Amino acid sequence: MDQASAQSLKVDESSKVTSPSSSSHVDQVKKLLFRRMLVGVSDGRFFMGLFHCLDKQGNIILQDAVEYRSTRRTSPSPMEQRGLGLILIPASCRTSCHVDCAIEEQMSLLSLQK
Amino acid sequence: MDSATGDGGVPSSIASPIPSGENSVWADVTHLLKSACEDLREGELIHGENFDLFAAMSTLEIMDPKMDSGIVTKYYSIDEAIENGAAPVPLSFDRTVDIQCVIDVMDHLLACEATWHKGQSLAQTVFSCIYLLRPDLTSSHPLLHSYCRVIRATCKAAISTVSNARTHEEEDYFILSHGLPLHGDGDDKCLSILNAVEETVSRQLRACKSHSLKKRVPEDIEPLQTIPELEEGYCKAVLCRLRFRKHFYHLLTTMRRPQGRGLELAKKHVSSCLSELELMQKSAAFLRCEENGITKEDTPIETTASGCHPIGFDATLNSRICTSTPPRSIKTLSWVKATQYFKKLLEDLDIVCSNSLDQSLDEVLRFVVQFQKAQPDLVARSHLQVLLVEDGKLYGRDSMFQVISRAAALPQIPPNHEIQKHEYIVQLGQLIINLLKILCTNAAWQRRKLGKVLQDWRVIYMQLEMAFQKDIGQIAGIFTDQNLCKKVADHILMWVEEQTYWIAFRFLVLGFELELYSPAEYCMVYWYMYVVLIAQAEKAHLRMSAIHDTAKRKGKKKRDSLKDAVKDHQIHPAVLFLQCKICIAEGLAVMIAALRTEHMNLQIQSPFNREQERFMQHFDLLQKASIPDRVSYVSFKECTAYANISTLPMYNYFKDAQKLAKELKGNFSNDSDRMSELRKLEQVAEHNSVALNLISRLGNLDSSLKVSLEFNHHPYFATVVVKRS
Repeated sequence: MDQASAQSLKVDESSKVTSPSSSSHVDQVKKLLFRRMLVGVSDGRFFMGLFHCLDKQGNIILQDAVEYRSTRRTSPSPMEQRGLGLILIPASCRTSCHVDCAIEEQMSLLSLQK
Repeated sequence: MDSATGDGGVPSSIASPIPSGENSVWADVTHLLKSACEDLREGELIHGENFDLFAAMSTLEIMDPKMDSGIVTKYYSIDEAIENGAAPVPLSFDRTVDIQCVIDVMDHLLACEATWHKGQSLAQTVFSCIYLLRPDLTSSHPLLHSYCRVIRATCKAAISTVSNARTHEEEDYFILSHGLPLHGDGDDKCLSILNAVEETVSRQLRACKSHSLKKRVPEDIEPLQTIPELEEGYCKAVLCRLRFRKHFYHLLTTMRRPQGRGLELAKKHVSSCLSELELMQKSAAFLRCEENGITKEDTPIETTASGCHPIGFDATLNSRICTSTPPRSIKTLSWVKATQYFKKLLEDLDIVCSNSLDQSLDEVLRFVVQFQKAQPDLVARSHLQVLLVEDGKLYGRDSMFQVISRAAALPQIPPNHEIQKHEYIVQLGQLIINLLKILCTNAAWQRRKLGKVLQDWRVIYMQLEMAFQKDIGQIAGIFTDQNLCKKVADHILMWVEEQTYWIAFRFLVLGFELELYSPAEYCMVYWYMYVVLIAQAEKAHLRMSAIHDTAKRKGKKKRDSLKDAVKDHQIHPAVLFLQCKICIAEGLAVMIAALRTEHMNLQIQSPFNREQERFMQHFDLLQKASIPDRVSYVSFKECTAYANISTLPMYNYFKDAQKLAKELKGNFSNDSDRMSELRKLEQVAEHNSVALNLISRLGNLDSSLKVSLEFNHHPYFATVVVKRS
């Protein structure tokens, strides 16, 4: 079902003027689904959860998310954590975004950063 | 993946101290996501198979102040806040400023406590105070320390009562106290330290009074602060605040003594609390005064008597503690409103304390209904409930069977009689306990629950009826006397029915209190009240005469039977009281129906539902429990369809009601609640009687006549107002 929709997406995109590389970005992000993702937000907290959804605006939904926060502004300090479940992190407050991956895979991800 | 190569670079994954998985690293995907977003089309999402748009809509949105309780505003933790001087001890090294600030903390805490009682979470109100969150923080400041301790202990006592009463389901934030230091060491001994501090301050007050009289001042007393002219004012302001806390804590704990044994003492604490509260209100003038050396803020805040901002409060620090609830935007009540709230709470608790502890169930029910008229808040209601139902007994003393046998006027049954353990009798006892608990909840909750239990009361009636018929052999086996057995059965059944109608009527009346009826529906509501009241009055009459019979037989030997013969034909005043309401309810129903027939007013015109549907919406629960029997929408229509103005004056229901009310006053001269209701009923009857005459004389002739209903005399019996437009 997902593959089918992915294919139809490709067909759609090839019919448009979008470059093939752009769809590869989308494909690559699709491969990150269900992986552990670590998102930092503007007030200094981090959220770690399974990557669940991304929209055009860059809002991210994480599943089974855990909130991490330092107990003091001056790092390093002990971290407090609590489970939150399904959360939406708006693009506007996102300051960093990492994915848990094997070292070899990281290279390929980094290569996309220009 | 198009290129697996790359220069390898430095892993950017050390961006955070959170460890990645084994043999893996955190790879920065910011740019990848950015490019992917650019490539996505409008409205397109990247998601997996298990994605559910509906679930996605209900996610917790991070950094949304209404959803995300963890937003870091100023400090990351309480400790950090304290290190940064958010809650200094002493509050100032200038002792005058220090005492002023402590009073502000006390006042703001009072405002927070009232806000908490009014339904906000404890963590976001009272425990927004950093001094309370860290019990050891204040130990070097006896005054603040004692105050914080008694506050924590008071909160704990209030939570204990409310959670015990289980009325908090309606206001479920009240008891959430997880993670708060409510069980601080030594808080239970808070009174000894409070008394010591109080003693010191009151000695100082005496000292400065004698100083002003040019008397010798004892050397060993240290003044509260440094400006002699202000000493007396500050001493007084502090003292009344400390004493209020002391008596309030005493009050909450003495009220909880088993079997209502502390009520008398509690009443004394109520009056002490009230007088200290008054002194607190008076102290506001002094505290607001400009001369006490504190620079006033441009816009005084409302939560303290002085108008100064209190030190040491931050509601965001522990909002994460209440994870199960989203953070709410809380408006703390003003200090003035808080003192008013406590005044009302104390008055309500005073009513609870005035309970005589010797009431029959009938009187208890009336007491609760009367108590609810003042719309008491959760804490007061919980105290009443805990007093009434304790260990499954009324007042923790009378077993439910005793209660039933007194209410249903059962003949003398030996104690520990088998019938007490009969399955359905035990169930009936449970229903009564439930009923008492429900009646102590807020109006909305109460109505919902009453509607539901009506079915149970109906069922238990049928079960008892069947049990008494079918198992007659078994039950008769319990009773040696066949007559006694029948009598017990009759009395219980009669009483259960009457009680069921009582609940039904309460259910209907609460609809007025909650403003659930539109004027167009008043006709059917009054009609239903009328039929329920008739049924109730009928059962009440049977019960009363049964009681009368028993009483008569007992006293026959002594009394003159001639008097009794006269009494026999009399109807009990309680039944006549119902009769009076019946007349008014019927009168209103018929009159409104007549006005509708004549198209004068109160038509049901709704594009959404017909009258019959509304009838079912309002009375479905009663209909399902067939309360009363054989009553339906059809019977309502039959009763009201032919009402018209020309036949109205043939029987003036209101005249009868007025007459009854007048006559009954003599019977209830020592019952102030019923007296005042009688007066209201009389007024309604009198007004409506005049209005009815007016309408019937002018109604057909004068088309400019406007008729409306108002509730200016009685909470649920309307007064008819006739006006020319």
